[in-house]
Amino acid sequence: MIGVELRKLFRRPRTWATIAVLNALPVLVAVLLQLTDLAPRPGEGPPFLSAVLTNGALFPLAALAIVLPLFLPIAVAVVAGDAVAGEAQAGTLRYLLVRPAGRTRLLVAKLLAVVAFVLVTVLVVAAVGYVVGATLFEAQPTGGTSVSGTSLSQEELAGRSLLAIGYVTVSMLGVAAFGLFFSTLTDSPLAAALGALAVLVTSSLLFTLDAASPIAPYLPTRYWLAFVDLFRDPVLWRDVVRGLALQGVYVGVLLAAAWANFTTKDVTS
Amino acid sequence: MAARGHGAPARWAAVGLLVAVLVALPSLVAALPADDADVPAAELRAAVLASADVGFSGYAVSAGGLALPVSERLTDVADLFSDRTLVRVWWRGPAEHRVDVVTAAGETGVHRDPGGTWTWDFESRTATRGTAASLALPTPPDLLPAALGRRLLSEAADGEVTRTRTGARRVAGRDALGLRLVPAEPAASVGRVDVWVDPASGLPLQVEVFAEGADRPALDTRFLDLDLAVPPAEVVAFAPPPDATLLTAPDTDELIADAGERAPDVELPGGLAGLPRRTFGGVPDAVGVYGRGVTLLAAAPVPGRLAGGLREALTASPDAVTDELGTRVAAGPLGLMLVEPADGPAYVLTGTVTLDALADAARRLSGVVA
Amino acid sequence: MSAVIRTTGLVKRYGRLRAVDGIDLDVRAGDVYGFLGANGSGKTTTVRMLLGLVLPTAGEVELLGERMPRAGRRVLPRVGALVEGPAHHGHLSGRANLSLIDAAGPGGSGRTRRARIEEVLDQVGLGGIDRRPVRAYSLGMRQRLGLAAALLRRPELLVLDEPTNGLDPQGITEIRELLLELNRRGTTVFLSSHLLAEVEQLCTRVGVLDRGRLVLQDELVRLTAPTGATVVSTPEAGRVRAVLDGRVLGVDGDRVVVRGADPAEVNARLVAAGVPVSALALQRPTLEEVVLAAAGTSADRVEAPR
Repeated sequence: MIGVELRKLFRRPRTWATIAVLNALPVLVAVLLQLTDLAPRPGEGPPFLSAVLTNGALFPLAALAIVLPLFLPIAVAVVAGDAVAGEAQAGTLRYLLVRPAGRTRLLVAKLLAVVAFVLVTVLVVAAVGYVVGATLFEAQPTGGTSVSGTSLSQEELAGRSLLAIGYVTVSMLGVAAFGLFFSTLTDSPLAAALGALAVLVTSSLLFTLDAASPIAPYLPTRYWLAFVDLFRDPVLWRDVVRGLALQGVYVGVLLAAAWANFTTKDVTS
Repeated sequence: MAARGHGAPARWAAVGLLVAVLVALPSLVAALPADDADVPAAELRAAVLASADVGFSGYAVSAGGLALPVSERLTDVADLFSDRTLVRVWWRGPAEHRVDVVTAAGETGVHRDPGGTWTWDFESRTATRGTAASLALPTPPDLLPAALGRRLLSEAADGEVTRTRTGARRVAGRDALGLRLVPAEPAASVGRVDVWVDPASGLPLQVEVFAEGADRPALDTRFLDLDLAVPPAEVVAFAPPPDATLLTAPDTDELIADAGERAPDVELPGGLAGLPRRTFGGVPDAVGVYGRGVTLLAAAPVPGRLAGGLREALTASPDAVTDELGTRVAAGPLGLMLVEPADGPAYVLTGTVTLDALADAARRLSGVVA
Repeated sequence: MSAVIRTTGLVKRYGRLRAVDGIDLDVRAGDVYGFLGANGSGKTTTVRMLLGLVLPTAGEVELLGERMPRAGRRVLPRVGALVEGPAHHGHLSGRANLSLIDAAGPGGSGRTRRARIEEVLDQVGLGGIDRRPVRAYSLGMRQRLGLAAALLRRPELLVLDEPTNGLDPQGITEIRELLLELNRRGTTVFLSSHLLAEVEQLCTRVGVLDRGRLVLQDELVRLTAPTGATVVSTPEAGRVRAVLDGRVLGVDGDRVVVRGADPAEVNARLVAAGVPVSALALQRPTLEEVVLAAAGTSADRVEAPR
């Protein structure tokens, strides 16, 4: 079942087009940075970007930080929103269900396929970032400097980068779960994706609002930037752990809601 | 309208229950009662004063609502008192610790060693070597609950710490016992300070500063996580990374002395607004610090070009009071006043004193400098 | 004969509207069952309930002897279905589509998949199809591909909703031959259609749905059994009444309906009386007449579909 969903997703030209577009922005930023040599001022711009001029090995992280706030969640929302509603709109949902692909199984397979999409996307962004960083900037073969100013060996840097890739992937699960849930509510993939994006925008907006600070710890976007904490020395696990737990809660609740809705829903598309 | 099949209400009820449990969980954890221990206030205070050498590491947040309209030169200090600052700390002792101010995209770490400080700024990639100064502007380490609580309690008079304790609460997962400090000086703008102390180590875990008559703290600093093990030395120590720009901080003492030389030759009074003057080595006579503990007043000359900008910033504030003495404004318990005598240098007065006390001090100061 | 599809008191309500109102279907093994009804009469909703896509408000569905939708995972792999037209992933080839749908559920062995796909493509007349994506297919080709998907696991029961949609006359004949051939080999076919002619040519049993109610369900041969009258075609219709006094049931131009289930006897009497007979047949009602009679005048008057 999951194999079928993966084949569907990755044999679709649109999937790769999305990933390509996602990579365009960091590459553009890298080229501009290289041409102008103007690093963002401290406190501004995405994390790690100012550090890239001195160490190109950090560009994969800067690339992730560039796509994290907007591009990546949009792509995830679109793919997740398409998961069930897309099949419904194309009419293939009814054939899947009479095949029979159990409704619960189908939901889980769809979520896993979206996770796979996120993982592949993040890996591609990181890989392209690595290549771009190594060609356009001076990469230091000795490793890098942590956010806290300690030296990291190349192995440590690679290990933490992998952790960051994993964390960013998990961070997108909330958006994916929202997209999937909305996808079971409507037969329009566009509506589902827009619903997930609306949640995202609301969350980002509330996060900047002081009045919303009591609910800030529960906003799905609250701990997204915590991947930076993986590059502090010692690693600051607090927000990372909370981010993982929060995404887990969102996935659990939304998957349960999607299940309650989808398994008792009349499929009339 | 999609009709629901059998079992839909049951499934939605299960989902609703799950959500309810998850939503209720944080408030349930928060509602866990704290154990109050029978420790007398005096004993607790003594434990706090003796806690400077207790090693610990932790994660703290300080939140201030003290938005003062100060000039751009002091944005770091202004942010410190008006924003949420997240701080990681590793404490081996007063002369060996590390305090990192954590921001979303970077961090600024201050590594203290017996010889001075290294300040690492990630985003500008600079490592700055400085010396420990006798008088300096407040920095994030000063706002750590442990440091702030200890300093306020150590400078408090015996009568200012209430004899009865103020109960207990949970801070950073520990039972913290409350101590209350009520400033005795008439000039004080701070109503009270609540210090919540870990009775075992004597470390203040949370400090809340309330303005007179306020029921929300003007400054709240507390630990979110605390580990009472002594952190390893290599975590605290700092070696500048190879790609960093090395800087040397301007010597604060020299800077102040320099300012003193350029400052007008005035003799500040030994007391202002009923607060006695404090003496620091190397501080020029033109700069004065008055009071103690939580009631402090600083007076410093302002060069003419700065005074104009400061006046504009102050008068832009809707709460500003301007009269023949100068312009003064308060943000919570923190007061700021620009004194511009007709025939003397401009002075800035700032501190945790009431506006009346500022006016009183300004009157006295105008008499002296004129 | 065992029941392949049996529903008891099947009801589907959408708000106040009863789309399906107490249907008792009875489809037996070996049937080619024609499920007739105008658009909006509840045909598609019923088909969806049979397959577990729509959950009934009340009543029960049994498919191949097991309760639906509970036993869907066991039953549905033995059922092939074409519901409201085919649907495929347009960017993939026909073979890829078949392979994906086969892998998406239980009961389709991966080892035999390739062979089975080639076999069903041959069966539906798409054996020579190339790798072009489905979005380049014609409507008829898509219909054939949908049918191929339904046949992929050699189902015991085929549930087909308007299977000849979009096919040209040759295509329709081909598909009809295919279905009859499958039926001869033991497949039960449940054919939902609004085309009377199609049902009349294919089906052995017929159910007629009218505004959510099953108004008729019987063997086609019984429904169209001789009425006990003979239809005589003669250029001299007026003389028939004189010869067969009292037995003439109606005259319509040169067609005269005469009571009597033995055309030979009628012929003999007319020829003896010198009335020219150009044609002679037992009177049988057409399916159209049966349906119209059962569904009343309102067969084409249907509430707006939801």
